[in-house]
Amino acid sequence: MTEYTVFRDNPGIDPALHAWGWEIPIYLFLGGLVAGLMIIAGVRIVASRPRERQAMVCCTIGPLVGLALLSLGMLALFLDLSHKIQVWRLYLTFQPSSPMSWGSWILLLVYPALLANALVHLPETAPALARRVPLLVTISDFLLARSRIVAGIGLANIILGVSLGIYTGILLGSLGARPLWSSAVLGPLFLFSGLSTAATLLHAILIMGMRDEERPAFADFLISSLSRLTEARAPDASIKPALTIADNSFLTIELGLLGLLLLGHLSSTEAHQQAAALLTVGPWAAPFWVFVIILGILVPLFLQTLELRNLIRHTLAPSLLVLLGGLALRFILVGAGQASHWSVLVSN
Amino acid sequence: MMAPFYKFGLFSEEMSLVVAFVTGIGFGFFLERAGFGNARMLAAQFYFRDLRVLKVMFTAIITAMVGLFMLSRLGYVDLSLVYLTPTFLVPQIVGGLILGVGFIIGGYCPGTSCVSAATGRLDGMVYLAGMIGGLVGFAELYPLIEKFTKITALGKVTLPQFTGIPYGVLVFAVVLMALCAFMAAEWAEQKFGGKAPGKGALLEPVLKLTPVRGFALALLGLSFIAAFAGSPYRGHAASIDTRELALSAGTKADHVSCTELADWLIEGRNDFLLVDVRDAKDFAEYHIPGAMNVPLATLSADFAARNEKVVFYSDGGIHSAQAWLLLKALGFKSSYMLFGGLEEWKDTVLFPKTPAANAPTKEQVDFARRAAVAKHFGGTPMEAMPAAAVSTPSAQPKPVPALTPVPAPVVPAPAPANAPAAAPKKRKEGC
Repeated sequence: MTEYTVFRDNPGIDPALHAWGWEIPIYLFLGGLVAGLMIIAGVRIVASRPRERQAMVCCTIGPLVGLALLSLGMLALFLDLSHKIQVWRLYLTFQPSSPMSWGSWILLLVYPALLANALVHLPETAPALARRVPLLVTISDFLLARSRIVAGIGLANIILGVSLGIYTGILLGSLGARPLWSSAVLGPLFLFSGLSTAATLLHAILIMGMRDEERPAFADFLISSLSRLTEARAPDASIKPALTIADNSFLTIELGLLGLLLLGHLSSTEAHQQAAALLTVGPWAAPFWVFVIILGILVPLFLQTLELRNLIRHTLAPSLLVLLGGLALRFILVGAGQASHWSVLVSN
Repeated sequence: MMAPFYKFGLFSEEMSLVVAFVTGIGFGFFLERAGFGNARMLAAQFYFRDLRVLKVMFTAIITAMVGLFMLSRLGYVDLSLVYLTPTFLVPQIVGGLILGVGFIIGGYCPGTSCVSAATGRLDGMVYLAGMIGGLVGFAELYPLIEKFTKITALGKVTLPQFTGIPYGVLVFAVVLMALCAFMAAEWAEQKFGGKAPGKGALLEPVLKLTPVRGFALALLGLSFIAAFAGSPYRGHAASIDTRELALSAGTKADHVSCTELADWLIEGRNDFLLVDVRDAKDFAEYHIPGAMNVPLATLSADFAARNEKVVFYSDGGIHSAQAWLLLKALGFKSSYMLFGGLEEWKDTVLFPKTPAANAPTKEQVDFARRAAVAKHFGGTPMEAMPAAAVSTPSAQPKPVPALTPVPAPVVPAPAPANAPAAAPKKRKEGC
């Protein structure tokens, strides 16, 4: 019995390296971000006292922003489809073994859950809108009078958020032809990356909503006119340190999961080792270390720790860095994943 | 471990960007902490009110200079590989004047403008935008001024080369000059800025060894040693680690086989130098494609940079082994020799032997590949049937049809014009 080496350059066997462009990483980033917003909103609404009437950044603004961002993400996902007209067929069936099928159904359920969460406290956040549409007040009163329904909405948000966050990782992990992605750590990694971007986004919204003498005049004008238009009450800023602490924990866990991902690959087959080397020393090393590890995790961790110790002011800088890092993580994992190959074993 | 690390291949080009990022962040951090993100601080230099920028920058320069000298003298840095900007006298004077005008108008230098922009100062951002505009403008105008940028080229000139003063003496002189400048700066700050020498400063009227004075003394002491330490460049004298050389020779880590070299050439790899150490006459007669000719008698440390990967070959093995030993001793870490030399090259690459008809299939398949390689280099398989016709007796399993022999020879490596005679001389020399 003799073994032969066959050089494969058949696109049917080894698909073209870059089948996925910018759409998928953008969707994965926004999907993770929305998943994080859902979980935080769910936890906050379950933990807050029933009938507590106050504008809450986590439970109203977060879900509303989430709805907008998810729609953007879905648009990106839609643009990536080859057969756009056939998209409705996804909703004629449910395949338990297909992450794609799970994802499409989860995404369908996410919209009403987010909307329900936003509706609970919407009249306090945007009184002007509530005056125009009295129905909003009716719904809010109805929901707040029934604490079990509110708790149910919170729970649904948590469960759907966790599913959405993990599914984006499983989606990549289920593709065995790409060694870099074939890791179960990818699910939790995307979940915690999404949570950290969500926490930091809410933190950024709080900071932008606060009065600040050092802010450039035109930005102050924009924000104040927006708040005058909605007659919005200032959201509870007391949650700011809690968000920062949460974000620091999420970032730390994310760093640990990234370490586990690389460790798992480095102690696996040669194809996996070479896949990990794409990130650590290979063509993606520079953006990975610079944008994901240093600028996306370590620097914001440092800055937020200083903020928590009241050594520096709370600023937008760590938020922007964490968001940038989350985006870079998706782009790098999708790009490097597509370049990772089993055929490295063949060519050696 | 030898520095510069990047040039000796300690990390890849990608990792060098990461190192550059960390270094850059560190540089920016300390510039910001020193107050250089503020244009007033930089302008204060020109009024002699606060000469902090001069002190910081000059300290950085002499620290790096003394450190580089000492480390290369001790053999940890190869100074010949440290990047030097080539000198073009007139264009650089003109460019320097433009930079100076920008410096005066904007109040920043390129580095401090980045620091200033990063701390959110509008003037820094405007300066940075101007700088990028200038870069774009220069790039667009370059075809018009290209001739001008090349005039008065002096090559890579260092002060010791230019003045003829020994390197170490110059180091001492520059450190002495810097220390005088620091004291003059403190005096000027007192005179024009009304700032008394701070605690621990050089001119503080207290007789005490403060950290600043200690650092100044250490620099002075080290540069004094440097003045008598000789040249930091490695000359022609060499030293060898016999055990290391014996190990690499004994484990055959010093070899590149002919088939390996053939693969490299076909792949078009350009990360190594192939050096023919025979005379020019033999070289002209035949050489492996892509080889350069450096006859053994003229071999010296200057023929290539020390971080280059070099593969030597000669007719047999003796001359290439001698060249290998010389360059190893001169500090060329990745020096190799072609195993068996040109003789082996002819036997295995140019004129591979056809295996017997009843040889195992693996051998047949290998031969088909080698025959294709031989054709690429202008040779012919000996007593060969055409590669495609290599089939096996019916007892053997059918050879796999999907086999693609070698990636098609896309490399522009030209086949040698005059391939040597078909019957190579048998004159094996051991290594």
